[in-house]
Amino acid sequence: MLRVSQEQETTGGSQTFYNCELMSENNEKKVHGVVAEYTSVDTLLAACRRVRDAGYEKTDAFTPFPVHGIDKALGIKPTVLPWIVLGAGVTGTATALVMQVWMNAYDYPYIISGKPFLSLPAFMPVAFELTVLFASFGAFFGMWALNGLPRFSNPVFTDPRFDRVTDDRFFLYIDSKDGQFDRGGVEKLLGDTETDYVQTVVDDDSSDKVPKPFFMIWGLVAALSVIPLLIVLKMRVSHSSQPRFHVFYDMDFSPSKDAQQYSTLFRDGRAMRPDVPGTVARGEMQADLDFMTGIDMNALSVIDRPRADRLVRSFNPLYQAEAESAQESKSQDVTQAEKADEGSDSDGDKSGADADKGDSDKPDAEADAKPSVMDTTPWLSSNPLVLDEKVLANGRKNFGIYCSVCHGMNGSGNGLVNVRAQKILAQSWIPPSSLHQETLYADKYPDGKLFSTISNGIRKMPGYSGQIKTRDRWAIVAYVRALQLSQNASIDQISEAQRETILSEQSEIQKALKEKADADAKAAQEKEEKEEKEEKEEKEEKEAKDSA
Amino acid sequence: MSEHSAPAPKSADDPAFMLPASLAALRIPLCVGGLIVMLLGWYLANDIGSDGGNFGMSVYLTAAVYCMTIVLGCLFFVLIQHLVRAGWSIVVRRIAELVMVMVIPMGILFIPIIASLWSGDGILYRWDDAGYAAEHGLPQAVWAEKLRWLNQEWFTVRTIGYFAVWTMLALFFFKNSVRQDQTGEKAITDKMQYWSGPAVMLFSATTTFAAFDWVMSLAPMWFSTMFGVYLFAGSILGAHCLLAVASYVLQKKGAMRDEVTVEHYHDLGKLIFGFVFFWTYISFSQYLLIWYGNIPEETEWFYVRQLGTWGGVALVLIFFHWMLPFAGTMSRHVRRKPGLVCAWGAYLLVMHYLDVYFMIMPSAERGNAGGPMGVIASVLCVVGMVSLLTGLCLGLAQQNKVVAVRDPRLGESIAFENI
Repeated sequence: MLRVSQEQETTGGSQTFYNCELMSENNEKKVHGVVAEYTSVDTLLAACRRVRDAGYEKTDAFTPFPVHGIDKALGIKPTVLPWIVLGAGVTGTATALVMQVWMNAYDYPYIISGKPFLSLPAFMPVAFELTVLFASFGAFFGMWALNGLPRFSNPVFTDPRFDRVTDDRFFLYIDSKDGQFDRGGVEKLLGDTETDYVQTVVDDDSSDKVPKPFFMIWGLVAALSVIPLLIVLKMRVSHSSQPRFHVFYDMDFSPSKDAQQYSTLFRDGRAMRPDVPGTVARGEMQADLDFMTGIDMNALSVIDRPRADRLVRSFNPLYQAEAESAQESKSQDVTQAEKADEGSDSDGDKSGADADKGDSDKPDAEADAKPSVMDTTPWLSSNPLVLDEKVLANGRKNFGIYCSVCHGMNGSGNGLVNVRAQKILAQSWIPPSSLHQETLYADKYPDGKLFSTISNGIRKMPGYSGQIKTRDRWAIVAYVRALQLSQNASIDQISEAQRETILSEQSEIQKALKEKADADAKAAQEKEEKEEKEEKEEKEEKEAKDSA
Repeated sequence: MSEHSAPAPKSADDPAFMLPASLAALRIPLCVGGLIVMLLGWYLANDIGSDGGNFGMSVYLTAAVYCMTIVLGCLFFVLIQHLVRAGWSIVVRRIAELVMVMVIPMGILFIPIIASLWSGDGILYRWDDAGYAAEHGLPQAVWAEKLRWLNQEWFTVRTIGYFAVWTMLALFFFKNSVRQDQTGEKAITDKMQYWSGPAVMLFSATTTFAAFDWVMSLAPMWFSTMFGVYLFAGSILGAHCLLAVASYVLQKKGAMRDEVTVEHYHDLGKLIFGFVFFWTYISFSQYLLIWYGNIPEETEWFYVRQLGTWGGVALVLIFFHWMLPFAGTMSRHVRRKPGLVCAWGAYLLVMHYLDVYFMIMPSAERGNAGGPMGVIASVLCVVGMVSLLTGLCLGLAQQNKVVAVRDPRLGESIAFENI
């Protein structure tokens, strides 16, 4: 300190009295600011206050440990980081909740542990975690951004004396970007504080070339990191005789059970679980009995009260539960197999329908005595679904899955099962009906009756109520009507706009059929000729042999 | 911190360390008035139930458990400060020490609860009713196992045991701290820090089982292993709130004005903020597991608390025991204003009572919510009991100092600064 003031006097207030040699050397270099060194917190804080009071704003203090009150002494405003963290945290909560609500309740509704699709308590842990995660990211990256990080080098490091900042020295720095920065003035101001070292911070003149080994290492790492990708790519396009490599074995071969498999978990040995007695599967709650039976229940209750009551009872889960428990207590000692049979009976739709089936099984015997129940039942005459393209597409899909194997894709009654049965001359086979008979048209065979037949079966055909959902069965009814229409449709029923395309398609198909027929005929002719020729040749050969 | 030479604390006889006279004058009125109000509330509550005093005893138990949790929270505060050798908290530690000694009057206040076990069948705890199992169709074998733990004799022995342990801990730490007021020995601090480890273990074992016995066994077939932590979470939150409120009141009345600074309020505020969330975390975790498992024997407790009026109380707890104070104490600008920290502390002490009420009353009422009169009786009872204990505590404070005046690190605590 003493030395400095003496020098100051001798140089008569010259502004470049420190490190004159260095200064002259550095004159051409860019000046970043001025730094001063202090030996204690108190001198540093005093200097900070002076600098703050002189109006400098772009300043910084460097200390080996946190110093209380230094932000105040330097006039640093409180950081906005907490607000960033709060914003990030709230974003995290919102993200988690929106994500889970959307995924689980709307995009892919999936029953988990029997909870509602939108169950807030289950979403809380994820919301909590994402809040913490986002807030931490906000704090970490917010701090980086506010501090201008990452920064690989700082001009203050050029001075070797600055190294002691991590040990026992304190530094105060004024940046040249400060509005009122003036090198001489700053140096004088700092010189007046209790320091014995003031230095101008200039550009680092050490080489900014990255050492060669770095490039080599980077290159090597980059090259190595491509290898897994290359392996994957090669495997995508090549074939191998080796079995597939399973990275996640249990994901490729899930231990979950498939339909109809056996499980030791349950007493009845079934992996597929029937509905719990007295419950209704989600989305299957139908209060509308007309919809579920295909019968106009109001009309039925007038005609045949007991049957209507029976139907009401059979479709009410509460009555079913009663029936099941009664059954269970009754058949405690019945063997497992019998029990399973009973179970499937009571699961499969639904006792009232059994009566219908029974009646329809023996139509001829009693037909003379009194009209069949099938004829007296007040069936619904129209499909209760709102028919649109989607419903018909659904009907077509389900018809393809369940009906077409017997009835054929076009409903003509010649599905694959029938083809096979005819081929092996199966004894007990009753050929499935063609759906294109007049007796099955809507005026003779109402929609409700068709629905009931699909649900409960007829003759050899089993009921499908256990396999096809109510709504899908009605969709099949609609599709069958469409199929029937398709066989007898006239071109007048098509709208003007589509008529032309249909006609052109029709002519194309006819053309193609004709070509095919011609080609077949030609091929047959050629074959005949060839055979003739061969025969002839054979004859000639024989003759030649004979003559020889 | 090292750069700040700690200012020398005032001399031990300074009036700043004495209980202000205006507060000391309140101690007799508080004791007498509190006792009367408490008995009045209890009497009114007894009048409500038509079930042999069950409602009255439940109201009394609610008040007792509320006071107990705060007393135990203060005991835990002292133990944990010693355990981690905390320096900042020394200026407020004596307040916690004074409160934790109230475990002795609490022991006396618990006599009616034990007496209810011996004087009749199932007055308060339903497992005490010989007909309970048959009435609820419980399997005999299971019930017999339960009764091996839940019976009058063993329950009484345990309760006495809990109070014995807590009294021992409270007196050990209080007496040593007070002795240091005279001698200023550093060895005393060392001794207290040495024993704080075993003390914390004893404390956690006893409080967990006390929570099981006193509160959880109100629904005898219900169990939750984290119930002890749940009660403790509210307890430690209440203790920090009480410290903030007590410091603020004492400073307003003229004591320790230079000792407790904004920095200490800031720290108490941080702890309040943290424990508000800890309480939420614990109570929600308990709920989530039970809700998710959805097993009848576990959901019983929440079933009654999620329906009807109690469902409303549960929502009030979510919004006003968690969300509001969570948002309110989040900012450091709030935590650095002593008045606001004190206000939030007082607010949360009320919320903590609602939490305890929510734990006890639905189990105990037997379908009788008590109506407005029941709520008034409950409030009278708890206000009376708190006043009585405050009066006793002021009496104790008057005979001693309100700050640990010769703690070797008092200066460090006074100079404490948050970074």
